[in-house]
Amino acid sequence: MAQLTLVQALNEALRHELREDPRTLVFGEDVGRLGGVFRVTDGLQEEFGERRVFDTPLAESAIVGSAIGLALAGWRPVCEIQFDGFSYPALDQVITNLAKYRGRTRGRAALPVTIRIPSGGGIGGPEHHGESPETYYAHTAGLKVVAPSGPAEGYQLLRAAIRDPDPVIFLEPKSRYWTKEEVDAAAAGRLGQARIVREGTHATLIAWGAMTARCLQAAEAAAEDGVELEVVDCRSLVPLDVDTLSASVRKTGRAVVVHEAPLTAGFGAEISARLMETIFRDLKAPVLRVTGYDIPYPAAAVEAAYLPDLDRILTAVQKVLDY
Amino acid sequence: MPSLRPDQLKELYRLMAFTRRVDQEAVALQRQGELTAFPPLTGQEAAQVGSAYALQRQDFAFPSYREMGVAIVRGVDLVEYLRAYRGDWNGGLYDLYAHNFGPIASSVGSHALHAVGWAMGAALDGGGKAAIVYFGEGATSEGDVHEAMNFAGIFRAPVVFFVQNNQWAISVPVARQTAAPIHRKAEAYGFPGLRIDGNDVLAVHAATAEALERARAGGGPTLIEALTYRLGAHSTADDPTRYRQAAEVEPWRAQDPLLRLAAQIDDEDFTRQVVEEVEERVRDLRTRLLSAPRAEPEEMFEFVYAEPPATLAAQREELRQWHS
Amino acid sequence: MTEFVFRLPDLAEGLEDAEIVEWRVKEGDRVELNQLLGEVQTSKAAVEIPSPRRGLVKTLHALPGDLVRVGEPLVTFEVEDSQPGVVGRVPQEAKPARRVHLRIRRD
Repeated sequence: MAQLTLVQALNEALRHELREDPRTLVFGEDVGRLGGVFRVTDGLQEEFGERRVFDTPLAESAIVGSAIGLALAGWRPVCEIQFDGFSYPALDQVITNLAKYRGRTRGRAALPVTIRIPSGGGIGGPEHHGESPETYYAHTAGLKVVAPSGPAEGYQLLRAAIRDPDPVIFLEPKSRYWTKEEVDAAAAGRLGQARIVREGTHATLIAWGAMTARCLQAAEAAAEDGVELEVVDCRSLVPLDVDTLSASVRKTGRAVVVHEAPLTAGFGAEISARLMETIFRDLKAPVLRVTGYDIPYPAAAVEAAYLPDLDRILTAVQKVLDY
Repeated sequence: MPSLRPDQLKELYRLMAFTRRVDQEAVALQRQGELTAFPPLTGQEAAQVGSAYALQRQDFAFPSYREMGVAIVRGVDLVEYLRAYRGDWNGGLYDLYAHNFGPIASSVGSHALHAVGWAMGAALDGGGKAAIVYFGEGATSEGDVHEAMNFAGIFRAPVVFFVQNNQWAISVPVARQTAAPIHRKAEAYGFPGLRIDGNDVLAVHAATAEALERARAGGGPTLIEALTYRLGAHSTADDPTRYRQAAEVEPWRAQDPLLRLAAQIDDEDFTRQVVEEVEERVRDLRTRLLSAPRAEPEEMFEFVYAEPPATLAAQREELRQWHS
Repeated sequence: MTEFVFRLPDLAEGLEDAEIVEWRVKEGDRVELNQLLGEVQTSKAAVEIPSPRRGLVKTLHALPGDLVRVGEPLVTFEVEDSQPGVVGRVPQEAKPARRVHLRIRRD
């Protein structure tokens, strides 16, 4: 057990997997000598050498495309796309090839590729450095989509993602990179299990990534008002643990989904639909969503007004309580 | 490079003649409603067969969608290959690792990166293997092909970029794809590029064998531009008379790679015998293809994931209720 | 918190050492990135030294008048573990503000 930031926890997870499996590779832009622009790969090249931890040219499509080829040759690539907004040049390789290659080869080609993408806003970054692209990936069959909320989750889920036999898009919440938490280095995670991070009775807040912490803050504020909110961290969007989500909302009868990505066709819509399909009779109010607005991710000076905050979350909670 | 023995020339001729005949049969099968579509390769047999003939077992070929000649040389069962065009399974039904021949790649140029990644992996494993990736002159306009060549140059990946410049990307001529000769692009990536007569099977074989050997020995990538011509349509749904003149096609017919090799072998008994052999094999292929089982709807759920999400199981169950 | 040792850089080509002229900070001071730490005299010029890090000045390794060799420790800083990435800043963790208060309807 150790107190680690999310950056350090992810670094430990990578180190662990590189040690355990000599076929695991780490590559991307600036991940070698520099140790990554957020230092997630710090020290890995020194420990594992330039064959297994290496810098690539500045070309996202090639990072993912060559990862596919390396996987076909029996390697286990963990590649980094430097920022959410720069994952789009690689979308064609991800959608056209990474997600479909296993099917295209009738299951004969294994694609245990993990793509790490520092994601989301809240760090005052310039354009293209604050986006939440999870829906693009969750909508693509053949991929798994994982979004850890903090250091302990990050450590466990990254190890599980690397070991997973399917391609995994691993969205790291940038704004949580420096949060410290107790991390159990022996605990191995599993994909596809949501986690109740706070128990409550009046309503359920559902989130993933950085918004899990925001929802916990909202639950603390609500508790001051005598309202007990349950908070569920989805952890992975594909597979989605519908059972845990619906069990929580069946208990509370009310749900608010919170995410940074824009509202329309955001993953909150999927969760809302799943809840209606599974526990419609148990709902005491419509499922509401508190999300980013349907606009491009805004400039740093105004991003706090774009991201779901306590007022917007609590207002939605009041609506479902009053319905 | 040692030159090919007479029996090898005859083997090349057999492979090319079979490729030509299956190509014609596939077009016929499409016209008869048995294939959904087919992209014919007639005219490009020397480029495909000659280059693939230079591969060794441990090498890996990444085809686009027009590389049936390469599939034939790699020993792929053509029923499993053509069922892709029969609409039974996208990518083909053959085992890529049984033949080290990748799935049919329909997204132009994007598979070049897979070849580079595979080659990087082969080098990490100690070398002695090479990848070859096939695409046309149209694909060289794609960004992925640039990124692939740049990666290959940087990592000195053991890969051969084999461009069949067949002059036409559907209706767009090569002059609309690039303002500079394709083979010269290699210079900018830091490896050799050469232009060869793609209808001369011996030239194709020699150039490819040399490039593959250099790659296997750690000498890095090569770009080969094989000048050839797509004598037929882009696909069975295409009508080339809408965009090119018969006068342009005729000179290329005189450069027919089969006629050129037959002239070199200069043995009419042999070529007549090959025609008979090939007819026999194509009859057998047609019978096996048409009697092969058709795809079952539930198969569409197979192979999407190694470990499928629970939500997919429910959808599969729903489909099973309607189609079982 | 981790320590960061700032060693006297080669301030001019082939410099071997420099003399501390004065410090503008003292041990225990919090300094910002590029805040002036002090002035040194090389064989070629008097040079102002901006702080390479944001943090707490833990140790000044020399007094005014001392000669420090290139590569020897000049200042030890205590710095935050949280260094921002190539862009953006480290978000501050504070109890967030709120205006909305909840009411439970009793009926």
